[in-house]
Amino acid sequence: MKRIARFTSLCVVLVVVAALVLPTGARAEKEIKIGVLYPLTGGAAAAGRELRDGAELAAEIANTAMADINMTMAQNAGIQSMGGAKITLIFKDHEGNPTLGADLAKKLILDDKVDGLLGCYHSSVTKTVSAVAEQYGVPMINGSSTSPSLTERGLKWFWRTTPHDTWFTKDLFELLKGLTEGQAKGVKAVSQKDIVNLASACEKTEWGSFVSELIEQFSKEYGFDLKKSLLYAKEAPDLSSEVRSLKASRADVLLFASYTSDAILMIKTLKAQKIQPKIIWGQDAGFETPEFQQTMGEDIVGILTRTVFLPQVVKVKPVAGQVNKLYKAKTGNDLSGASARSFTGLQTWVYILEKAGSTKPADIQAAANAIEIPGDQLVVPWAGIKFSTSGKEIGQNVLGSGLIGQYQKGSDGTVGLEIVYPFDVATTDMIYPFPKW
Amino acid sequence: MDILFSSLAAGILFGMALSLVALGLTIIFGVMDIINFAHGEFLMIGMYTGLLTAQAFGIDPLLTLPVAAAVGFLLGIVCYLGFIKFLLRGPMIAQLLGTFGLMLFLRNLALLIFGPNDRALHKGILVGKSFDIGLGIVIPATKLATAGLSLAAFGAVWLLMNRTRIGKALTATALNPQGARYMGIPTERMNALAWGIGGASVTVAGALIVNFWSVNPYIGLLFTMLAFAIVALGGFGSVPGAFFAGIVVGLITELPGFWDFVAYTFEFDWMSDVPMTSFKYMWVYVAYFVIMVVRPRGLFGWKH
Repeated sequence: MKRIARFTSLCVVLVVVAALVLPTGARAEKEIKIGVLYPLTGGAAAAGRELRDGAELAAEIANTAMADINMTMAQNAGIQSMGGAKITLIFKDHEGNPTLGADLAKKLILDDKVDGLLGCYHSSVTKTVSAVAEQYGVPMINGSSTSPSLTERGLKWFWRTTPHDTWFTKDLFELLKGLTEGQAKGVKAVSQKDIVNLASACEKTEWGSFVSELIEQFSKEYGFDLKKSLLYAKEAPDLSSEVRSLKASRADVLLFASYTSDAILMIKTLKAQKIQPKIIWGQDAGFETPEFQQTMGEDIVGILTRTVFLPQVVKVKPVAGQVNKLYKAKTGNDLSGASARSFTGLQTWVYILEKAGSTKPADIQAAANAIEIPGDQLVVPWAGIKFSTSGKEIGQNVLGSGLIGQYQKGSDGTVGLEIVYPFDVATTDMIYPFPKW
Repeated sequence: MDILFSSLAAGILFGMALSLVALGLTIIFGVMDIINFAHGEFLMIGMYTGLLTAQAFGIDPLLTLPVAAAVGFLLGIVCYLGFIKFLLRGPMIAQLLGTFGLMLFLRNLALLIFGPNDRALHKGILVGKSFDIGLGIVIPATKLATAGLSLAAFGAVWLLMNRTRIGKALTATALNPQGARYMGIPTERMNALAWGIGGASVTVAGALIVNFWSVNPYIGLLFTMLAFAIVALGGFGSVPGAFFAGIVVGLITELPGFWDFVAYTFEFDWMSDVPMTSFKYMWVYVAYFVIMVVRPRGLFGWKH
């Protein structure tokens, strides 16, 4: 009797254990956790919210089947090579602080056991976070940090989808050169001496200080005279002495690398000091956030900013239009350079996971190094995504490209960005010189 | 040439705003020998008061000054009666650490209530307006108004201290509290009043400054440090000293402009490559250090 009782209880225990263990073991849908680090508070919070919305939308499209979007990741629900595994994003707020970013990355890796990382916007934060990812051997994709040095460190676990500032700054000088040659749409050839004097003011962390160096380097190369180059703190509550210094340089072309709150302050101060340059150009970031546009209203008409995405891209890329429609329904804003790139960053994660077929870091690494995403899959106007695996730059997407947009007032009275460079895809006449305040 | 005049003008105007910030600190120190580390946090509260009142009621930020003054006056008195009064019984170190604690408390309270993001005013009668008065000098209307009100506030405090019975009582409390008590002066109330006036002057400064600076909960420290430098330069406890030292400090923060002037006038290329604007506040502390070594009682110091 005793034996039977023991046998029965053993059976019961086995059944219970099986009931508990088997469904999880045999469950078709696995969860893939991606840790996402963005500045959700602080001076770049506005950009951070856009980045989060862009990544969230990409995850939604990957996790649900949406037949009306012409992307392979939209056709199925989840990652097919892993039995329809769903992507879960775990967001952390690094506040634009490199030390905090590194701590959060450790938490994501050790506590949340993420399969990979995405982030971080500020190049300074991406630098420390990618070092943590390298240390733990966790793959990281960066969609929106543009300091060239990030992919020059020979990291094995870091891939960047966006083009970087060397490209963008070169674009700017090509635009200036094109202006003197009469290539800009709707502008007669400008005499070289009208725009030969440049001055730059860049924020002084990793990103801005590199942009400042690039401007110096390219102005020599293209034969421009850089009269003044300033660095300032992006948290600065007042930029009037910096602006006076720019004014004293008597430069015709003012170049900026600014995050959101400092971009607003800079333009407000330029206006208050009644400074009248011929060209104002911003290196993306703060210059294309909705907050910048909403706060400054019509004061920004004529300002140029480099970017990788403009609402105008929708006209030439149907898939961008389809995604933009969803994004607008979700947030009320059009896709911007920030949200389009975080979208593309997460999209790249999805394609790599699909190719890898597992979440083992080594498999992901091999898949990332071999991936080739055609341009027609992307919302951004690039030729595609393919990472360099040898040479000076490792893990850099070699198929990206940039645009230069200009704020103009549309026929409906709203201020928005139009493409002015590359010249062959310009959507409208360029405004030159910069209008009077 | 333009840069010389515009930097001079900007330095003087900003200096007058800084004087108003330092006024409260010097009054409190003058009357009670207490260093208020939370001074910059009072300013931060003034900035938020101006900003939020203007936004909540849709009125011009300049009209919020009385609200900011009332908030600052009450804040000063509440801090004194509820906290500082008890610290006075302890040793000097307790007073120092006490106001330091008050600073941390107010900053974190602001962080809790307002969040860490920068906020700025974008609308207002004066916001974004400026006057071009020739010689390359462009004066933002907000800074001109701030300087004017700073002048008025100094005048009012000077009159209060030198021409009224209350002022005499405050001075007596400052010079010899025990003697003042024997003469029937309610020194306790005088101390509270000093905190009230000190608080009101700095919150008014805050409500003015928010017209042209953005605010976040951490903004206080920069101003506390600048106010310390001004009070040390001008002499601890000296009202006219704070005014002139404020202007001196304002001009020092414009050193990059003067540097540019020399660089462009004499065409010294190496000078225009020096990143002076990145270090503009450093020279203020260099001046602070020098004055501490050379003349510890400050330019106008009257008390030991």
